[in-house]
Amino acid sequence: MTTLPSSLSPLIHLIDDDEAVRSSLALLISTVGLRVQPWADPQSFLQTFERESIGAIVLDVRMPGISGLTVLDTLVAQKVDQPVIMLTGHGTIDMCRRAFKAGATEFLEKPVDDERLLEALQAAVRQHVQSRERNQADRVTRQRYAQLSEREREVLGLIVAGLTNKEIGRALHVSPRTIETHRANLFAKLEIDSLAQLVRQYAALVDEDTAA
Amino acid sequence: MFANLKGLRYWLLAWAVLSILSGIVIARTELTRQQEAFDTNARIVHRLLSQQVVQHDAILATLALLHSGSATDRPEQRLPALYTQIAAAAHRGPGEVWPTPSLIAAEAESTRLKRAVLADVDLHKGTYQLVLAAQPDSYALTIAMRSMVPWTEWPMAADTSPVQVRLQLAQDSYLVQAGRAFAPGDAGWTFEARKVLAAESQPFEVVSLLHLGWSALPWRWMIFSAGALALVLVRGRMLVQQRVQQRREEERQRVGQLARLNTLGELAAGMAHEINQPLTAILANTQAASRLLNDSEPDMTAARTAMQMAVQQARRASDVVGRLRRTVERPGSAAAVQSVNLHNACRHALYLLEPELQRSQCTHSLTMDGLAFEVLADPVALEQIIHNLLTNALQAIEQVPAPNRALHLVLTSTATHGTLRVQDTGPGIPPDALAKVFEPFYSTREGGLGLGLSLCETLAVGMGARLSAANGTTQGAEFTLQIPLAHTVAA
Repeated sequence: MTTLPSSLSPLIHLIDDDEAVRSSLALLISTVGLRVQPWADPQSFLQTFERESIGAIVLDVRMPGISGLTVLDTLVAQKVDQPVIMLTGHGTIDMCRRAFKAGATEFLEKPVDDERLLEALQAAVRQHVQSRERNQADRVTRQRYAQLSEREREVLGLIVAGLTNKEIGRALHVSPRTIETHRANLFAKLEIDSLAQLVRQYAALVDEDTAA
Repeated sequence: MFANLKGLRYWLLAWAVLSILSGIVIARTELTRQQEAFDTNARIVHRLLSQQVVQHDAILATLALLHSGSATDRPEQRLPALYTQIAAAAHRGPGEVWPTPSLIAAEAESTRLKRAVLADVDLHKGTYQLVLAAQPDSYALTIAMRSMVPWTEWPMAADTSPVQVRLQLAQDSYLVQAGRAFAPGDAGWTFEARKVLAAESQPFEVVSLLHLGWSALPWRWMIFSAGALALVLVRGRMLVQQRVQQRREEERQRVGQLARLNTLGELAAGMAHEINQPLTAILANTQAASRLLNDSEPDMTAARTAMQMAVQQARRASDVVGRLRRTVERPGSAAAVQSVNLHNACRHALYLLEPELQRSQCTHSLTMDGLAFEVLADPVALEQIIHNLLTNALQAIEQVPAPNRALHLVLTSTATHGTLRVQDTGPGIPPDALAKVFEPFYSTREGGLGLGLSLCETLAVGMGARLSAANGTTQGAEFTLQIPLAHTVAA
């Protein structure tokens, strides 16, 4: 296969039982610089494919032994986050609806035009990268928030609620100066420069925390 | 099998219940008839015996009125000769005395009651005396009861009738007719009629008795009715089974039709997949090759490989199509032609479509120009063609209002060919569609497969006939089927 050696480039998993279809589509996809991992058997794909890699999955609906829709259900159940593009020879509206309901990002009919497939793949990869980045940022935010003391979290909640230092001091029965100290610590721990950034990144987390 | 047996059990139960009911009705009717006959006979017996005893009173009264003074010529002496039941007649003249105390007592009684009175009644022997006190002479008749019965007018055969008739006075009775003997506890039905004779002087009670045992029931009729019921039920069961069978057959046909439709759908889906795979590969390969060649430094080896693969896949697609055709093609598709009467074939097709024709309120005609002729055709294919043409015409006709719906089948023949024209009064075929009506998968009908006319044409060509479509001169479509004649007419 003409796969690019760069491990950073996104990896497309291509599952189709037909050798000719598999190799031709793999060739086509590789022309835009995406790496392709072809799979003839959906079972071995499900067992061994690399779940952490960035990329997308191209799945044929009609395969012997196990339907593409079943594979899709399994992927969703296993919380695989790679976007799935379904390919079918004779797509009925019903099948299309089922695929989208199950979580497919795209549903394409065979024979598929190169532009449609490649555009869909690139869009899917972009979407995957973004969602991974969002998840990454989210994880960092949570880690920093976890470092805060109980008091600091209280202060943070009141800051986010829009109270001034004086008001917070009154509410917590401490001097405004103490609040200022907490505030400085809080900014340092969360690696935040401005109040606006603080509110934007942590308001949701504070809500989640107080709700819990 | 089990269900069948269970069903049979219900039928048997129904038969038993119905047989018993009909038996009861027949038995009751017969018993009522017997009772009515018995009552009638009892009335007649009472009337006949009453007439007899009333006559005894009359004879005595007449004797008393005669005042016959002559001692030698006694008129009563001639009575036994005239009336068989009068065994003897006696008189007591003035100054004489009756020989027995009972007669003396009877006369005294008679004087007091001013009518005849019984004396010396002996029901065992069947005799009694009747005494009438009068002036100057009193008279006594000795009656033999056996002879009193008017057998010639008797309503029953005295020797064989099962009815018992007795004349009863107090505890004793005289047996007039023996009848059939029975004990009081015997099973069955007992009819009884009691009435005192219509002569005050002889108050005998006529007792008629008839006992009917089980054997008296009309068993033959009851058995006959049970048999008749069995026949009716057997016939009914056959009808029901036939209906069930018929319904099952209809259902089976419906399911079969559905299965065929599903098979067709499966075939189409399979075909689509089989052809789509190579098409997908061809498209992907050629587009990949084109992209590779557009690179500033084209990877010629990869592009060439892609093109070779595209060629292989095109061959694969062509193989799929070939295989499909060989599968679908009927073995020995050269049609088995034979002589077929085209007129009969049309009539049969119309007959099969009669329900549809009626449902769409469509009038139809089948006309033939000249003599009947026979064409060379595969009968099955011909029937299928005509049926399809008619079905098509019917569907077209549904688009116009019911009064305008008509379907004409016109048969003509030339020296070499027989022609069937199917004309309808539907909206006709749009000019742009006319050229395509025989193309497979072309249909002007919503949801139509577009295979009917295509199949007709294939079948027609297969047996050397020609099928063409046109719009009729007036309105609607006209399909023309031209078939070679079986025996070409010498020009």
